[in-house]
Amino acid sequence: MVDYLIILFAVTLIYFASVERLTNYIRLISLQGLLLFGIAIFELKEINTANMLFIAAETLFIKTILVPYLLTRIIKRSGVTKVHRDAMPGFYLLILSISALLFSVILTQLMHNQYINSIFMAVALFTLFTGLLLIVTHRLIISHLIGFLVIENAVFLFSMAVGNRMPMLINIGILLDIFVGVLILVFFGLRLKPRTNELTMLKD
Amino acid sequence: MVVLLFFTTAVIMSLLIILLKRRVLTKILSLLFAVFLIGFTFYSWQNLNRTEFSYFTFDSAGVLLLSILALLSIPTIYHGFIYTVDDDPKKHSIYHAALIMLMTCMSGAYLANGMTILWIFVEATTLSVAALIYHDRNDAALEATWKYVFICSTGIALAYLGILFLGFVYGRDDAANLSFDTLVGLIKQVNPLYLKIAFLFVFVGFSTKMGLFPMHTVTIDAHSVAPPPVSALISTTLMNVGFLSIFRVYSLFASSEILGFMNHVLILSGVLSLLIAAGYMLKAKHLKRMLAYSSLENMGLVAIALGIGGTGYYAAFLIIILHSLAKSSLFYQMGQLSRILNTFRLDNCGKYMALYPAGALVLIAGLITIMAIPPSGLFISELMIFRAMVNNNQWIALVIVILLLSFILYAMSIRIMHIVYSNPRRDFDPGPPSYVNPVETVSQFFLLGLVVVFCFYQPWFIADLINQSIAIFLP
Repeated sequence: MVDYLIILFAVTLIYFASVERLTNYIRLISLQGLLLFGIAIFELKEINTANMLFIAAETLFIKTILVPYLLTRIIKRSGVTKVHRDAMPGFYLLILSISALLFSVILTQLMHNQYINSIFMAVALFTLFTGLLLIVTHRLIISHLIGFLVIENAVFLFSMAVGNRMPMLINIGILLDIFVGVLILVFFGLRLKPRTNELTMLKD
Repeated sequence: MVVLLFFTTAVIMSLLIILLKRRVLTKILSLLFAVFLIGFTFYSWQNLNRTEFSYFTFDSAGVLLLSILALLSIPTIYHGFIYTVDDDPKKHSIYHAALIMLMTCMSGAYLANGMTILWIFVEATTLSVAALIYHDRNDAALEATWKYVFICSTGIALAYLGILFLGFVYGRDDAANLSFDTLVGLIKQVNPLYLKIAFLFVFVGFSTKMGLFPMHTVTIDAHSVAPPPVSALISTTLMNVGFLSIFRVYSLFASSEILGFMNHVLILSGVLSLLIAAGYMLKAKHLKRMLAYSSLENMGLVAIALGIGGTGYYAAFLIIILHSLAKSSLFYQMGQLSRILNTFRLDNCGKYMALYPAGALVLIAGLITIMAIPPSGLFISELMIFRAMVNNNQWIALVIVILLLSFILYAMSIRIMHIVYSNPRRDFDPGPPSYVNPVETVSQFFLLGLVVVFCFYQPWFIADLINQSIAIFLP
C-alpha cells in the first residue's frame, strides 16, 4: 500500500511540471499532504502514539489544510492566477522533470543500502529536484514558496525513510515545517507583492 | 547543568524584554546577558572537552568561537543601544530580545556535539536574525529579510537532507542524536557515495550561513540592510557558525577516502568566492555591500585554507578569529558613518576625515587590517596559506588567488580612500551631520589593535585551542 501511495506522490510531482494555474499548485500541495499522511500511517508502525499524533497533525492539519488555505489567501489578495509568463514553458519543464526522475532512480541504485527503501529514496530525491526546479525556473514569489514547500515534503519523505529508527529526526523536520514554512507564508507571503517578481531593490 | 542554566536564563531575559518593553530594563538585561555570556565563556574554558546535558561539549573549536562571540557581545550591545535610541519601545524591545536570542542560539550551535542539535540551533539563528534584519520595517528590509529567510530555509533544508544521509549511514536504533563521537567510528565502513552526497548537501546548506559560494547572495543582501551592529554579527560570529558546521562534517569525514573530494570542493568554492568578491568589489557602489563582499573574500580564503591542508588548517582558524575582530569593528563604524554622512552610497560619501577624524582613522586602520597588509595579523594567516600552497605545488591556484586578492585590495583601497579624503562624486545634500562622540570608536580601535597584536604575538592559549581543534589533521 505504501508503495502505491509513494508512486502516486511521484505522479503529483510530474503534474507540477505541466500545470500553470496556481490553484492547481495548491491542490497538488494539499494532495501531497494527504498522501504523506497515508504514507506515515502505513510506514511508521513502530512509532509511539504521541509521535504518531504529532505527525498526523503535521500532515493533515498543516500540510493538507493550513498551508493550502494560506496560499489561497495570498492568491486572492494578489489577484494572480497563473505562473509568470516568462516562466519556462511546461513542455521543457516536463522534460526536466522526467530527467530528474531518471537521475533520482539511477542515484538510488548507486546507493543501494540494506537500511533504505529504494522507492522511498528515489521519490524523495525526485521531490527535492522538483522543488529546486520550481524555484529555479519560475519567477513569481508564490512559485518559489511552492518550490520551498515541495522541498519540505522531500525532507519529510527522507525523514520517514529512516523514521522507525529516528523519531527525533521526524520531529525536527516537523518543527522546520511549522516554524519556517508557516512563518514564511504568513509573514512574508502576505506582505510582499506576490504578483511581481520585482525583488530587485537590493542589487549591485 | 550550567549550559541549561545559560539557555534558560537567556530565554527568560529575552521574554522579559519583550513583555515589559521598558528601555532601562532592556538595557540592564542586555548588559547582564553580555556579562553572563562572558562568564559562561570563562566556565567553558575551565571545563574544556567536558560534555554537559548530553548534547553540548566544550570542545576547543566551539570554545574558541564562543570566546569571539563573548568578546564582541558588549560592543555589539553598546552600538545597538545607540542605533535604537530613537526607536519606539516595541521596536527597541524586539531588537534587543532578538539580539539576545541570536547570541544564545549561536552559542548553542558552537557547543552542539551532534548534527541534529547543531542543525536546530542553526535554524534558530535564522529566525532570530530575521527579526533583526527587518528592524527598520521598510521595503528594502522586507526584501532582504524575505531573501534571507527563504534562501537560508532552503539551504538549511538541504543541510538537513545531508544529516538524514548520515542517518542512512548509521541505520541503527541509537542513532537519534547523530553525535560526532558515534559517527566518527562508522565513517570508514560506509559507501563513499553516501558521504560525498551528505557532504555536498551539508556544505551547500551551511554555506548559506558561512556566506560562501554558491549561497553567498543571501548574506550580501542581509548585510546591506541590517542595522550595522547586526551586520557586524552576521558578518562574523554567524558566519563562524556556518564555518564550524562545515568544519565539523569535514573533520568527521576526513578519515574516509573522500578527503580529496572534499578538498577539491572547498578549493573550488573558495576560488569562486574570491572571483565573485573581486568582480563585485570592483564595481561596488554601496559601502556595506562592499564590506559584505570582503567577508565573502575572507570566507573564500578560509575554504581554500581548509582545502589545501597542512598549515592551511591553522591559517583557516586564524582568519576566522581575526576577520571577526576586524570586520565587526568596520561594521560598528558604519553606524557612525551613516549618522555623519547620512548615506552608504559610495558616490555620495566623501571628506570623512574632515567631518569625523576618529571614524576616518578606524576606516584606514580597518582597511589595513582586513586587507592583510602588515602589521595586520591576517597577513600571517595569508602567508601560511600561500606557504601551504607552495608546499603542495598548487602554483596555478596560488597565482589565481594572489591575482584576485590584488583586485580586491585595489577595489577596497580606492573606495575607502575616496570616502576618507575626496569630495563626494555627486552633488548630494546629506543634511547636517549628527554629533558623534569619538569615544564610540574606542571598541573599534581596541578590536583592530588585537588584530595587529596577532601579527607579532599569538597568545599561547589561543594557539593551543587552534591546535587542539585541528589535532586530527596534525601529523
